[in-house]
Amino acid sequence: MPEVIARNLPFLAAGLATTLSMAVLTALAGTILAAGIALARHLRIPVLSQGLAAYVGFMQGTPVLVVLLICYIALPAAFGFRTTGYAACTAGFALFLAAYCAEDMRAGLRAVPPSLIEAATALGLSRPKTLRLIVLPLAARVALPALIGQYVRMLKYTSVASVIGVPELTGSALMVNARVFQPFTILGSVALVYFALCLALSLTGRALQRRFAETT
Amino acid sequence: MTGIDFGPIWAHRDQVAAGLLTTIALSAAGLIGALLIGLPIGAAGASRARPLRICAVAYVEAVRNVPLLLHIYVWYLGLAWLDLPASLCAVLGLSIYSGAYAAEIVRTGLLAVPRGQTDAALALGLTGWRTLRLVTVPQAFRIVAPSLANLLSQLIKDSSLASVVAVGELAYQAGAIEADTFRSAEIYFTISLLYLALVSIVSHAVLRLPRPQAAVLRDA
Repeated sequence: MPEVIARNLPFLAAGLATTLSMAVLTALAGTILAAGIALARHLRIPVLSQGLAAYVGFMQGTPVLVVLLICYIALPAAFGFRTTGYAACTAGFALFLAAYCAEDMRAGLRAVPPSLIEAATALGLSRPKTLRLIVLPLAARVALPALIGQYVRMLKYTSVASVIGVPELTGSALMVNARVFQPFTILGSVALVYFALCLALSLTGRALQRRFAETT
Repeated sequence: MTGIDFGPIWAHRDQVAAGLLTTIALSAAGLIGALLIGLPIGAAGASRARPLRICAVAYVEAVRNVPLLLHIYVWYLGLAWLDLPASLCAVLGLSIYSGAYAAEIVRTGLLAVPRGQTDAALALGLTGWRTLRLVTVPQAFRIVAPSLANLLSQLIKDSSLASVVAVGELAYQAGAIEADTFRSAEIYFTISLLYLALVSIVSHAVLRLPRPQAAVLRDA
């Protein structure tokens, strides 16, 4: 381990912890939100589904940095409340992630063959039961690899929180660099940490995909 | 801050326009760079030679598992002794990062063209290069056109990160205008609409391209 990293390890480790907690919270909140959006749009709930379509379109067309600036600066200014960088970023990331995950979940829901739903109905299953026992498990299998891809993307995007001043991994690395100017070593080490985390996550995703491919 | 007032934003319209142009220039440069990297790496990834495939996988995985922000910082801070201009650092970061995604697109496109097509072209007496130029690439392009449009949309949005090294694109100008006018909701709303417009133009343009499925199914 390079000496700069070893000397500043506790500080950088705290940054890594912030990155990880932000990523996990974002993934949880984003997935729950996305499930709501995907179901509402799949079931074509009037008004709500059109509104959510507009929301998804807006998020997919806006850079994550702008979403963070809206959550951290614009919304508090417009509605007169205070927030912290961490809370604003996590909320922004979750709102951003939800839009993308909702699209993947919708694709999963659409991939369930209608004949299976008809068969479930013919067997006397109620609509909620069909959804819970037949549609959702199958849709989840189709959507899972894409969702993991979104989580990997989000894990990388958490670095953007440093722009708002959140001392996550990238932010704390920049601070260490400001203290002892050794940018190549510091940025290189941080890049390696992101690389290991993202690779582990995407390999898990690929392994899951292979397992599902075998069982279906 | 109460009330919504777009007046101060309109007063800074020149700055917004300059930012928009810089964003477009950055994304275009990034796309060209990404394709320059993606074409050879993608071709290597689709080749039958194992060492070439390993090199391609190594590049793609090494590059796309590191955040774009770090790519930009590595050029700007990590290689500070090179003293490259900030906009070049942003373009290099964007090109190298998106190059990995472009390589994956090129690879899937090349692999999606049925083997029978190249075999037939070779049997008809076309040279390897002409087969590639006249048979494989046109079909591969049709298949990956939506993915390429997606890549460009992604580049447009990702170019906002160039603001961290003070390149005067849309997000950077928005910050400057916000500092001038304190009209934060208005300015960020304005630039998200501009990004949305750019992305919509790209995604609508791709719908006008010839449809791939029909052609591939017919030929397969």
